[in-house]
Amino acid sequence: MSAVAIIGTGQTRHASRRDDVSQPELVREAAEAALADAAVGPDEVDAVLLANMELFEGRALPELWAGAGAFAAGKPCMKVATGGTSGTSGCIAAFHQVAAGLFDLVLVVGFEKHSEGHSQTGMALTDPFWDRAVASGALGNFALSISQYVAERGATAEQAALVAVKARRNAARNPHAHLRMGDLTVEEVLSSRMLADPVRLLDMCPQSDGACAIVVASAAAARRRSRRPAWVLAAETRHEQPYIGDIDRRLVTMRTLRDAARVAYRRAGIGDPLTDLDVAEIYEPVSYAELAWYEALGFCADGDAGRLVEEGVTGMEGELPVNPSGGVLSSNPVGASGVIRVAEAALQIHGRGGERQVEGARLALATGYGVYAWADAVVLGAEAGAT
Amino acid sequence: MIVEGRVQIPFRYAAGAAASRFGAALRDERRILGARCTGCDRVLCPPGPFCGSCGGAAGAAVEVGPGATLLAWTELPDRGAFALVRLDGADGALAHRLVDVPEPRVGMRLRARFAPERGGDIRDIEGFGAEGIER
Amino acid sequence: MTAGAIAAEPLGVACPMDLGWRYASGAAMERFLAGLRERRIEALRCDGCGRRYLPPRPLCGDCRLPLDRWVPVAAAGTLEAWSVYRLPILDGRTGEPRPTPYGIGLVRLDGADTTINHLLAETDPGRLRIGLRVRAVWREELRGALDDILHFEVAR
Repeated sequence: MSAVAIIGTGQTRHASRRDDVSQPELVREAAEAALADAAVGPDEVDAVLLANMELFEGRALPELWAGAGAFAAGKPCMKVATGGTSGTSGCIAAFHQVAAGLFDLVLVVGFEKHSEGHSQTGMALTDPFWDRAVASGALGNFALSISQYVAERGATAEQAALVAVKARRNAARNPHAHLRMGDLTVEEVLSSRMLADPVRLLDMCPQSDGACAIVVASAAAARRRSRRPAWVLAAETRHEQPYIGDIDRRLVTMRTLRDAARVAYRRAGIGDPLTDLDVAEIYEPVSYAELAWYEALGFCADGDAGRLVEEGVTGMEGELPVNPSGGVLSSNPVGASGVIRVAEAALQIHGRGGERQVEGARLALATGYGVYAWADAVVLGAEAGAT
Repeated sequence: MIVEGRVQIPFRYAAGAAASRFGAALRDERRILGARCTGCDRVLCPPGPFCGSCGGAAGAAVEVGPGATLLAWTELPDRGAFALVRLDGADGALAHRLVDVPEPRVGMRLRARFAPERGGDIRDIEGFGAEGIER
Repeated sequence: MTAGAIAAEPLGVACPMDLGWRYASGAAMERFLAGLRERRIEALRCDGCGRRYLPPRPLCGDCRLPLDRWVPVAAAGTLEAWSVYRLPILDGRTGEPRPTPYGIGLVRLDGADTTINHLLAETDPGRLRIGLRVRAVWREELRGALDDILHFEVAR
């Protein structure tokens, strides 16, 4: 295995509707931006990886139609679809391709246009024998797991609201974000409409149209082309059993994310993630999940996540800023959301985060979370690790 | 044991910049617009948004057709004849239906038939009929 | 992105889709569903880890062992997670909106180790908590599907 780096990132403006562009045109926006950022021409790209949940748009063969937007004709091209982790898993697949020496330059594009389909129904079309009669989508699944997490760890609605406020205020500094709410208050979150106890409207991610792309390069290509590559120090992905009732108190135990993070930290030489990491972009579809992830990711002891957000430890000025981009809570084009996490982490290492830059970031974490059954952890650094 | 069911989902797709231009010209002017590829200069029809051969973006609009040449065809059970046609002035092939073509043969001349009620998408062309046969 | 004149008005194409499906249950699920028709609930127990799986399935995901030891499960159990859902959502079986609010829960039936995801009769969050005893409310005409259990009600 040889070293791999991210040398360019690009994303669209994310919004509830992007009626001005078709799916291939949306993909092209992100692909062109990433290639321009990396100073790589479309012809120089060796292979293309797409991430998308096609049932949300009800469209067959997105890798064919949207692939044209990613300059895929005549190149190796495939698609990854694993729910919320589609994007991070797509990035990880590209890392593997380049690390294996198959390609020097791979373009990854994640995209989703929720406005064109009916994502709730897409989510409800799960196992026909066990889930369809009762399924209540991502929101229902999360609400169930949150009831267990709150009962066991004592997390409060106020602490969750602080997460929601942090995300939307950070998003106000991110020109790509969908929900940019610089003045949002805890009171507004707590008085927003109840969706599924205890999850309120402003605790939940939006459904967005958007795309995001990264350019993945071999060590030689990265050194030749980039002043400051974001080196991939670790990339782990974990799968779970298929049925939500199989998983013992999901947000409490978090076997997938805990395992992925533990192995990723070891590979990247991270002892204490809270002090070693400079920034994290984590996949939090709901405010409460961010609290659970702090514990699963080892940012604090179990039960201590609320304190982290209360004390601003994970705010922009804190010890470990989490989601300077505004996170999934502020923009969620599902197939793109994982790519956005990786791209935002890379952007921080590239030092090109603009108003959302964490000064001097040299070690960054990106995570993905899909349905209740996948978790990914990616560690990026300013220096190439031992290979 | 078998479980059966049905579900209705209301999809709605944005045509995007390239297809919107094509659709508006069909709907409002009964004109078929191709687009010149900014990469390789071919005239695309259907016009993009991207050139199938070089990946370049669709550029300036170029009016094509309504005359066309039949490139390939087949008869689909219950659905009529399905064909690839090359519109006059275009370089690519358009997949569409044949209407009023009693004896299709590759290479024959065709003409686009516009739908009387048009909504701004490819269905505004009803199909392609044999040149010389008018309705 | 695209050079030249672009239509000022973005067009869209509506494609209402009517999808049908037909799924085969497999042998383990067939036995389970046939059991429901007689108000009988059975789980499959893994010889490796001892976990009693509901839904019964042919393989333990953790031990990677085939499962064939059937064990009886009660129609009553303990509420392990809950919420009251208030958002209009389409029923994945019909495409019709499900009336709101409705209760949802993870229920550990007596005799099983996994929980099942199902609906709750109770919709007052003040009356729901983890650890409550709940029992199945059966449909009058059983037809061999998970919704032969209409929902779970709190045992008082």
